[in-house]
Amino acid sequence: MSNGTVDGAPPEAASASKGARRPGARRRRPGELLGYVFIAPAVLYLAVFLLVPLVQGIAMSFTDTRLINPAGGEPVGFDNYAQALGADRFWNSLLATLLYTAATVAGTLALGTAAAVLVNRAFRGRALVRGLLTFPYAMPTVAVALVFAWMYNQSNGVFNRGLGVLGVGETGWLTDPNWGMASVVAATVWKVFPFVMLVVLAALQSVSAELYEAARIDGADALSTFRSVVVPHLAPTLRIVALLMTIWSIRRFEIIFLLTGGGPVEKTNTLVINVYRTAFSDQDLGLAAAIGALGLIVSLAVTCVFLLVERRESQREEAS
Amino acid sequence: MKLKRTVARLLVSTALLAFVLFAGFPVYWMLNTALTSDTELYKSGQDWWPHAERLPGVPDALADVPIGDWLLNSGFIAFGTTMLSLLLAVLGAYALSRYRFHGKGAAAFLLFSTQMLPEALLVVPLFALFGMLGLLNGLGGLVLANTAFAMPVALFIVKSAIDKIPYEIEESARVDGCPRYGQLTQIVLPLVTPSIAAAAVVTFFDGWNEFLFANTFLTDSEKWPASVGLATFVGQYTTPLSSVMAAAFLFSLPAIVFFVLMQRRIVSGLTAGAVKG
Repeated sequence: MSNGTVDGAPPEAASASKGARRPGARRRRPGELLGYVFIAPAVLYLAVFLLVPLVQGIAMSFTDTRLINPAGGEPVGFDNYAQALGADRFWNSLLATLLYTAATVAGTLALGTAAAVLVNRAFRGRALVRGLLTFPYAMPTVAVALVFAWMYNQSNGVFNRGLGVLGVGETGWLTDPNWGMASVVAATVWKVFPFVMLVVLAALQSVSAELYEAARIDGADALSTFRSVVVPHLAPTLRIVALLMTIWSIRRFEIIFLLTGGGPVEKTNTLVINVYRTAFSDQDLGLAAAIGALGLIVSLAVTCVFLLVERRESQREEAS
Repeated sequence: MKLKRTVARLLVSTALLAFVLFAGFPVYWMLNTALTSDTELYKSGQDWWPHAERLPGVPDALADVPIGDWLLNSGFIAFGTTMLSLLLAVLGAYALSRYRFHGKGAAAFLLFSTQMLPEALLVVPLFALFGMLGLLNGLGGLVLANTAFAMPVALFIVKSAIDKIPYEIEESARVDGCPRYGQLTQIVLPLVTPSIAAAAVVTFFDGWNEFLFANTFLTDSEKWPASVGLATFVGQYTTPLSSVMAAAFLFSLPAIVFFVLMQRRIVSGLTAGAVKG
């Protein structure tokens, strides 16, 4: 396979970089061949461990493969897709994914941006505060799930104890169908908002002092400076962060799996959780692969919409 | 006017304090729980303030959980993931930053698309593939699977650092007769060491924290990393909870320390992939 990529290089580039390997050879620009040699290991690695499994997974979605015999399985055409699309479970799981994604993206962007704006100001102990605010992002997800499951605990958890002081009755945060999704979203937002904060903070710090100065001379107050100087400057960053947050929310597995496992009554059974449960609890690899392929289509569609919006917006910004 | 400014300052300070409490409380509560006995946790109720005088008892409490063995396994997986990822990432980053070749855009897209592929969708075919290759139930297989997801992030971190080095330095070395790989190892790598360190931190803790593949591929509990071992306690309150929380804190501490030290470079690399994709 590596020969294939190397052979793909045009002959003049190949001879140019052959010369480059000899010390002292003169060459005007980096040749193509060595570029292939350096990128090949990474690309081949991803081909073997991501593309091949992806293709295999899609192929598996057209078979009746079971967990007991993952290499076997007879072709069944579109049966798995028909079964997936015909079941309420799939549509419920699509809805759960969209709800989880929308709530997580909105929550992390709002909190992350607010935190970034606050930390961007100069004050004593700023480095310490910024460090503290990134703790959640650095903490391993399993540890986050452990402590949140304990805080959400119905009879001994700190949330119900705190609310009990206020005279509010106990809530089963992770077991009540009305609260399951909100509790998982809250834990996720807590974990991920520092990422948004750090990215937005970096963008804020690249707003030049002259811009602020110009706004001040024009007599703008803090709020209108923020609106007319800072917000336009942040817009491209916020769009990228929103894209990343969306993609990551659609694929996020661990925190949901550990906190609720898809429950209560499938309220948090997002597509990725659904795939995993279908494969390893129901042991139906074919159906799981079909749900997975459908999930991938959803995630690609969302990304395409984002990239289209991004292109239009950045063209508009360049024009104005 | 002066009053208005004082009020604004007060509001900002309150908001900052609220954020610090919000971000810090679960971490604090983990520590507090680690220092509380089970009778208090389940009966009389947990104190709001930690019993710092119980710190000396924590090492004994940790013996309830085989956290030492688990952390060794986590360390092995993390170290292997780091080494393999960095090797592939540094070479690839150099190629993407310094060479022009056909299919470069496609290569960059392939690298970015790993951000989009859910591990949970790939775990089924990878499970089948690893079953055929005899890689299930081994730490080596986990290194291979983790590297596929960690390496592209490392690559973008290193690439954005190489992009900032003026090409003229290598140019003059080349004129002086320095071969291509020498330009990479003797000129470029020393200049991007801080970013390679950041990439190492990211990939190390990717391997350290990883749960899904480890939980799916390992059947032998002796091979469990801490993520899988500790996950068995989520929502289970049979083992003393204080011991579990102490173990979880021990597991989290290195990740928190290293991430806080390296945060800026890590974040710039994570977003750089998206900008170029």
